[in-house]
Amino acid sequence: MAARVLQQCVRTLARPSLRLASGNLAAVAPASAIHRPLSFAADSRRTRWLVQSRIPSVGVLCRQYGDLPPLTLETIKDRVMYVLKLYDKINPEKLQTSSHFMKDLGLDSLDQVEIIMAMEDEFGFEIPDAEAEKLMSPEEIVQYIADKKDVYE
Amino acid sequence: MVVSRLPSAALSFKQFLQRQRVLGIYRNMMRTIRQVPDKADRKYLSDWARDEFKRNKNATEQDAIRMMITQANNHLEELQKSLALAKS
Repeated sequence: MAARVLQQCVRTLARPSLRLASGNLAAVAPASAIHRPLSFAADSRRTRWLVQSRIPSVGVLCRQYGDLPPLTLETIKDRVMYVLKLYDKINPEKLQTSSHFMKDLGLDSLDQVEIIMAMEDEFGFEIPDAEAEKLMSPEEIVQYIADKKDVYE
Repeated sequence: MVVSRLPSAALSFKQFLQRQRVLGIYRNMMRTIRQVPDKADRKYLSDWARDEFKRNKNATEQDAIRMMITQANNHLEELQKSLALAKS
């Protein structure tokens, strides 16, 4: 049993791709594999160590592409509201998800253009003019962004 | 007799198109200004653009507005040119 476990971990070390990532590990491990383990406990400890050290080396081999936390309706809403709160002409106390930019918050059409541009900055994509002028409240913006980014409940 | 269902303050089609044009120019202007490297300049320019647009917000005459649109386009072009020069 112990021999089989040992064999298995030697085999995993012998895989060339792994040896690339952990050259010194592969050099050390066979040396320790030469003297047979005295007890199963010692052996299993070593396998555990090998298994643990294998995971990061595989991680190094994989490329990690740019990754953002997944968008949900909740996070989109938070980010939209955060941007709006930072906009100096909006009173943060009056701001609600359903409030109309012009009727409730007293902004003008130029402000609305600026808000949409701030949203473009925040979410990193461009909103075409025709759609931009229809977005008149935070919830409409959230809905629009969710549609564009394929976020559903 | 036909009674218009539009509210009396509604824009005519031409006015509506002109409004879209003005907002489009404002958007372009802001996009261009955003590329200005210096932060203080950027602030100054966006305030300037906003004030200019605000100053003429009560203009109703179509020809006057058309003239202002042309003027804004000239400013925009000038800005883009100097930005391109500054980059090169």
